[in-house]
Amino acid sequence: MSCCAKTSPIFHSQATTDLMNGSGPHETPTVTNFGGQSCGRDTMETPDRASSQNPSSPSLPASVARLWRPAAQRNVRNQWSKLASCRQQWANSSSSGRSHATSLVNAYLSRMYMPSMELGVLSDMPNIRTKACAKLFKQQELYRGQLLLSYKDMVAIVTHMMNSSRSMRSYVKSTSSSPLIQFSSDSEDHNDDGDGGGIPVYTFWSILKFEQLAEELVGMFVSELILKRLLVLNLSGISCEGSEVDELNWSNELYPGEFDDLRICNLYSNHDCQPVIPRLMQGKSDISALKSKSQQNRENLEVCLATWLTEVNIDALRADEIMATVGEEMHVSLS
Amino acid sequence: MESLVKKYQQRFRKVREEMDRWEQLQSRLISLFQNASSIIERLQVVQNPKNYDSCDIRDAVLRKQLDSLQAILVSISRTLEGLHGVVLFLEKMYNDGSQFARGGSDQLTTKQLQQRVGIKPCLQDCLNGLMLLYEMHRSEYLLKLSLSSALSTLALRPTSSDLSALHQLLVDQPNIPKEEVQSIFDTIFAEEIC
Repeated sequence: MSCCAKTSPIFHSQATTDLMNGSGPHETPTVTNFGGQSCGRDTMETPDRASSQNPSSPSLPASVARLWRPAAQRNVRNQWSKLASCRQQWANSSSSGRSHATSLVNAYLSRMYMPSMELGVLSDMPNIRTKACAKLFKQQELYRGQLLLSYKDMVAIVTHMMNSSRSMRSYVKSTSSSPLIQFSSDSEDHNDDGDGGGIPVYTFWSILKFEQLAEELVGMFVSELILKRLLVLNLSGISCEGSEVDELNWSNELYPGEFDDLRICNLYSNHDCQPVIPRLMQGKSDISALKSKSQQNRENLEVCLATWLTEVNIDALRADEIMATVGEEMHVSLS
Repeated sequence: MESLVKKYQQRFRKVREEMDRWEQLQSRLISLFQNASSIIERLQVVQNPKNYDSCDIRDAVLRKQLDSLQAILVSISRTLEGLHGVVLFLEKMYNDGSQFARGGSDQLTTKQLQQRVGIKPCLQDCLNGLMLLYEMHRSEYLLKLSLSSALSTLALRPTSSDLSALHQLLVDQPNIPKEEVQSIFDTIFAEEIC
């Protein structure tokens, strides 16, 4: 029984560590909007910050600025090391997601090929094909669940990255009772931009520069995440029959609370009441053709897996470059 | 004479270290080769627009795959350079070794070359061993060079049977028979085995 359920896998799930890299000229680090939506509060304030970068009009008294720098350095360093570790976690989750997706596709294809499969001596066993199909279907469901869990992990990782990239600033804590000046990540004073008046945090860069690079980096993962969502949806579709397919709709949550997470990443459009449509970083148009068919052929599925593997929206070279230059500026090594 | 043999044994230790390096490079080469083959096998499907819902995705996926393939091919040729380094080292070991015996202040006679003390190897064994190891690795390096150029050609019009044949040749290292290598070292270090 089990021997025919384990018919030759169609794709190898061995961890093929293709060298991921991007191509073409690197874009200059500009503030890119995540997922086509503006970041609300942050973007609105940018012009003020730019003007407050002028060192001749510091918004903090010299004594406070002196204390601000170590606190800001600590905070920026912490946030960037979180970003670095998130990047590693993403690689792990993406790779385990890929192996679940491969297993899912293999189970599905074996099930599809079952009627025409040469079973040799086993073909005399009663209901052998039906039983094998039932077992393969069970496996498929199992892998689908695991794939979804990997996706959920990836959403959580990107949420953390998003939070880190938004927590670069250190604000002066208004402490009327204590003579100590303290700093926090929450703004209590509207005149305090949390950027120390635009002074360099370490050697050259102001908070704004750190934020821009974080935004560029996190932007890659955000746009890749929503593309992965599309793939998860496509791959889950092959597993279902009839009525279940309707539940697998772009505008339905894949797990409870998904949309809250996506909102943090600016990936949920309140206007359309559904997650934003995936786009490619260098593409011109939305990837609007969303279909989760119950029947997919082998080539479509292989392309799905290849799209998962290649992480088209993550320019690994540029990401390495960002990490390296940030690390250099902070005199630490982020890896 | 005994001290000469000792010097040769010293050489063989260095040769063995270099051969370990060869093995590391070889396993690196195999994994690079596998990565390249899986991309090449995928290329046909990946470049067909019919398999996609969106042309943008096709372009992006294809570009990424070709970039990765390019990077892997570059790593392969870098690894081959490493193997070439090993071959050059073995060549030097052999050339120095034969000069050592023949070009010294006084020419050694055939009798001296074949003189044996106990189970220690004679000088002729040492020279032959160095020459054999050098020639094996040189031929194997040349084979690998042609395998890698065959791989680049296959990238354009792949067949999976060709790819697996190349892979098998790469893994087998037909020019470096393991038993023969072992017996060379067994002869040179005979006294250490007992």
